[in-house]
Amino acid sequence: MARLHAEEMVLNMGPQHPSTHGVLRLKLRTDGEIVSHIEPVIGYLHRCFEKHGENIEYPMVTPFTDRCDYLASMNNAHGYAMAVEKLMDIELPERVEYLRIIFAEFQRIASHLVAVGAFGLDVGAITPFLYCFRERESILDLFEMASGARLLYNYVWIGGLAHDIPPGFVEKAYEFLDYFDERIREYDRILTGNKIFIERSADVGVMPAEVAINYGVTGPCLRASGVNHDLRRAQPYSIYDRFEFDTVVGKGEMGTVGDCWDRYNVRVLEMAQSARIIRQALEQLPTEGDVKSAVPKKIRPPKGEIYSRSENPRGELGYYIISDGSSVPFRLKMRSPAFCNLSVINEIGAGWMISDVIAILGSLDIVLGEIDR
Amino acid sequence: MIDAFASWMLQFGALSWLGTTPATILAMSLVAVAIFIFVALNALVLVYVERKVSAFMQVRLGPMRVGPMGTLQTVADALKLLLKEDIIPRFADPILFRVGPWIILLASFVAFAAVPFSPGWVPADMSIGLFYVVSISSVVVIGIVMSGWASNNKWSLYGAMRSAAQIVSYEIPVGLSLLAAVAVVGTLNLQEIIAAQAGVGNLFHWIPIPFPNWYIFHSPFLFLAGCIYLIAATAEVNRTPFDIPESESELVAGFMTEYSGIRWALFFLSEYANAAVVALLTAIVFLGGWQSPFADLAGARFGMISLTVLALIWTIFVKYKVKRLSIYPIGTILALTVIAWLFPAFAIWLATPGLVWIAIKGGVVIFLLMWFRWTFPRLRVDQLMYLSWKVLLPIALINLAGVAVWMWLTGAISLVG
Repeated sequence: MARLHAEEMVLNMGPQHPSTHGVLRLKLRTDGEIVSHIEPVIGYLHRCFEKHGENIEYPMVTPFTDRCDYLASMNNAHGYAMAVEKLMDIELPERVEYLRIIFAEFQRIASHLVAVGAFGLDVGAITPFLYCFRERESILDLFEMASGARLLYNYVWIGGLAHDIPPGFVEKAYEFLDYFDERIREYDRILTGNKIFIERSADVGVMPAEVAINYGVTGPCLRASGVNHDLRRAQPYSIYDRFEFDTVVGKGEMGTVGDCWDRYNVRVLEMAQSARIIRQALEQLPTEGDVKSAVPKKIRPPKGEIYSRSENPRGELGYYIISDGSSVPFRLKMRSPAFCNLSVINEIGAGWMISDVIAILGSLDIVLGEIDR
Repeated sequence: MIDAFASWMLQFGALSWLGTTPATILAMSLVAVAIFIFVALNALVLVYVERKVSAFMQVRLGPMRVGPMGTLQTVADALKLLLKEDIIPRFADPILFRVGPWIILLASFVAFAAVPFSPGWVPADMSIGLFYVVSISSVVVIGIVMSGWASNNKWSLYGAMRSAAQIVSYEIPVGLSLLAAVAVVGTLNLQEIIAAQAGVGNLFHWIPIPFPNWYIFHSPFLFLAGCIYLIAATAEVNRTPFDIPESESELVAGFMTEYSGIRWALFFLSEYANAAVVALLTAIVFLGGWQSPFADLAGARFGMISLTVLALIWTIFVKYKVKRLSIYPIGTILALTVIAWLFPAFAIWLATPGLVWIAIKGGVVIFLLMWFRWTFPRLRVDQLMYLSWKVLLPIALINLAGVAVWMWLTGAISLVG
């Protein structure tokens, strides 16, 4: 009898695919449903961010940082502004610092909402996604009040903010926080404790702590693996040392430490912690102060270089800037957290089924704008 | 039904020149056309309902633009699909690609031949009706594999393979759970199965609460069988949480990936026709089919009052929690109760079996299917197989034995023959 000829099939997932979160292409080597090798192919959204950065003046880079990780524009602009401010030794007014924290944490909640909802979508639950977007809308309303834009704000400027917050903003922020605390319980009911959801995500795509560290995975994905590393705590930048909050670490409640469920749950719990930070910041927010008082007239950092890092919703966001003393950066390098997080996909995703690869990819929460830059 | 229809036609002078055989053939075609119209309208309505139900569950409005409350949206969509360019991928198998959707539609369409809609209203009153419906609706898988293979697309192939595995596996729990009811009634004829569920009796035979004699209230075992059937049937019609053949976030659109226009519309027609078959079969075998839940006039009045009390309890305890005291459910049922008391004719009508009751029961089951779909995540392929072979199948087998024990206990069968 002639033997059946069996071979692995190469499956191109993306760049046009409903669950690759943008224009990512995954080259999967599959044996039936089992995926034996995953090769991410990136670059479909490459917009020459770093090269652009070498040709435009410092303040003009801020809108570009917004467009890198379009789900966390505030955090990106915040990180970039901090890097240039450190280079120029700018002392910021208190009010600016507080407002930046408030916006960064709101943005973190908004970004995690998308991550949580999209992860639900990846495992097949459509409704939670819309609930998450409903909450995100309220945050975007707040951003719109402050900056006039809903996605790309250009709000955090080097040395300050574009505008002060309008009257009524603080009340609306409190209103949202009160409403949001109840909502987190709703996700618990519809997703976190759902038996099918747990079956799909617990014990799937386990990322041990050493793998995470070796691949440079940061952010919620690293913390889900049991490593207590949050730059807001480990190396407090801005004024994070003034707030009380817990860093959420994956405990493997439903399966193993570092599985998809942990990565999901870390994000859900982090949203509550962000809300806690915002509450404290709103309470301590100084009423006086001009948000533009420290904005330099001419931004010409002295000759030198700087590497500044901050905690983005996706992980450790770093900016490396070399200044030659002119008004244009000599070199601008961005360390993108999602890029490093994505690199681990073959390590934790190979050997699982196609459906699990989707779930794992969703739990890593990548944004292609930031990976390709 | 067809013979009766044919002889009815022959009564008329203008038609009497038709012989018996041509009249029968004409009657058959007319019934077939009627069922086809039903299938098409069913899909139009259900797509609209599904979009509205999902919208309300997802705090949206759903279709609102075309027609009042968006009711004509699905008509507009259907027209758009009809007018679309007919694309067949270059490397697809042109014959199988064309035939596949038709086989799927045909299989789900002919299943209606044995479905009794009302007393006397069944296109083909066959003695193996239940067997026929279950077996014919599994022909769908051939069409799915055909179109998945012919598309020459890896996603389609995956969808088709998953679908084949899934439908074949879930046939068995479906069959076993239906067998439990068949064991009680002793016939496969759907009309007789419904007729056996007439009247009102005790809940689970002994508990002295008046419940309709539907099989879902017949014994705990048949109740379980009903649940198993609903789960397995959800899997058989490829709906979430068992929609892995077309799982949108994984396989793009599964076996439908390469289809567009009218052929894609055929998939939609058959999907909702299948859902309707499953819902009607649940209603027929477990919920008493076209039987009214009220045995007579007094029953209808009593039933409406109990429903009002239930609605009141629901209004107070469920709605109060979310601080929104809704008057609609209780108002509707209260009005019905008052009407049932004041106008005996209405109560008699309520107590009469008929098309309305099977539509309500089927509608409830379809709503359940939609509720599942918009609430649950999706299972993985291996988990799906696990559920079928290691959970549902053993339970269904034990359940079948349990039904026999129950019948012996209640004296429906005796061991001494």
